[in-house]
Amino acid sequence: MEITFPLVANAVIAGLLLGGFYAAVSVGVAISFGMLDVVNIAHPAFIILGAYIAYTLNAWLGIDPIVGALVVSPLFFLLGAGVYRIYHLAFESRGRGALPGLAFFFGILFITEVVLILIFGVDYRMVKTSYSELSLHAGSIDFAFRLIVPFIVSVAMVVALHLYLKHTFFGRAVLAVAQDPLALRLMGVNPVRVREVAFALSIATAGIAGAFLIVIQPVQPSIGREYIGLVFAVCVLGGLGSVYGTLVGALILGLAETFTATFFGPSWSPAVSFGLLLLALAFKPTGLFGR
Amino acid sequence: MANDPQSLNAGTASTRAGTPSASATGKAASLRVQGVSAGYGAVQVLQDISLEVADGQTVALLGTNGNGKSTLMKCIMGMVTPSAGQVVATIDGVTHDLVGMPTERIVDLGIALVPEGRRLFPRLTVEENLLLGAYRPAARSEIARNLDFCFEAFPRLHERRTQLAGSMSGGEQQMVALARALMTVPRILLIDEPSVGLAPIFVSRTIDKIAELKQRYGLTVLMAEQNFNQAIRIADSGHVIVHGHLEFHGRTRAELSDNDMVRKLYLGA
Repeated sequence: MEITFPLVANAVIAGLLLGGFYAAVSVGVAISFGMLDVVNIAHPAFIILGAYIAYTLNAWLGIDPIVGALVVSPLFFLLGAGVYRIYHLAFESRGRGALPGLAFFFGILFITEVVLILIFGVDYRMVKTSYSELSLHAGSIDFAFRLIVPFIVSVAMVVALHLYLKHTFFGRAVLAVAQDPLALRLMGVNPVRVREVAFALSIATAGIAGAFLIVIQPVQPSIGREYIGLVFAVCVLGGLGSVYGTLVGALILGLAETFTATFFGPSWSPAVSFGLLLLALAFKPTGLFGR
Repeated sequence: MANDPQSLNAGTASTRAGTPSASATGKAASLRVQGVSAGYGAVQVLQDISLEVADGQTVALLGTNGNGKSTLMKCIMGMVTPSAGQVVATIDGVTHDLVGMPTERIVDLGIALVPEGRRLFPRLTVEENLLLGAYRPAARSEIARNLDFCFEAFPRLHERRTQLAGSMSGGEQQMVALARALMTVPRILLIDEPSVGLAPIFVSRTIDKIAELKQRYGLTVLMAEQNFNQAIRIADSGHVIVHGHLEFHGRTRAELSDNDMVRKLYLGA
């Protein structure tokens, strides 16, 4: 294939916009897996759930999916708190290893998927927003609004999370809780409470990312599985426990996938995330921003 | 090694006498342990331990490794539940029964522990470690003043405030651990083995610093330590713990250092 400037420029723009969306998809796992050591492989299932809730709100009331997701994000927060409480009582507090916990989240993944299939069927669903068809043109480069809007909201969400974790008492407790929960008790902080709220936050981000997903592409209950590898690749690449690292990792992955799809064909792009994950583990296991 | 603790400590003793008595105004903090027994599973570690730390006192808990010093500290902080006995703190005229209370509530009463092995958050900076100390609401209101004071007391920490705590030397980490405990604005400070893992020069500096901080904050201090000579430099009284029993109570520094059992256990005589 001939490499032309417009082709490269479009790939860069599309890659960055896609990366912004990947950041929203992965930032919750950066919290649950990176900061709390909870291997929540059901995270993509919560994203798909968020996508369907945004879809339903749009179909019933005509609310913009992203606005709708922001409005229902407190419910996702409560859902996350409930899931963590069950996980804590059944596994963590009994000192069970990571494996039963993994099975627990696998269960949540499948149950969510089956419930969504029972309600909505296996057809692809999509939401048409007022900006779905619009795009900006700069010469031969296209900026599609259905990618720009999620990108902007996603980056804003990631920056807000970073500032919150870095500059508040609660945020610092989240950063500390996996390092030494007992020492945190000695600071007068209940580590279980900190973990519960942090996990709830991670699920709230999944709900919002779900709305981005259904704006960007058609959604079907089982496509969440495609994102499991991606979210963990982004988190490891960026550095576990670093929110900005997750953003950078997501942008790199978005660019790499788009370039692969443009120059080698879309069927190669799923190999990119695992390829980058392997490279990161081989050459910089702490990730780009890990400490 | 200089073995006359009283003359070494003369300066501190006279300033201590000069501080206004806190108890006269009702602002006082004391700790009482009564008949405490505790263990891990079938292993009995503490047997019928009773001791008191009166307001403004520094009490040393002396004993070599494995005699139950840390377990007693953990019993007071609610990290180990005693099988028998009482732990009672009286703060500003209010008496609190600490047994069965979660650790974070005990901290919220104004009781802090500098744990054995320091237990810093290694991948957070020095400043982030200190700010975590000020998490409880009562401590947040005084955060700026306390942070200034910590940096004044430990200038080294100010230089290193953006460094990761885990990358510091043992002596510096002990400073962070002490400063972090002070950020919780304690009334009663428990210190578990401040000298462990430190070079001799840092041991005496750390002990001096504890005396200075105690003075400045008007703290009530219980310090577990195996370095006998260093600990009794700043202690008002001390208990010797052997195999989970309190074997000897020295009500003064002289009584502690001039004792056959202490000599046998520590001074090799």
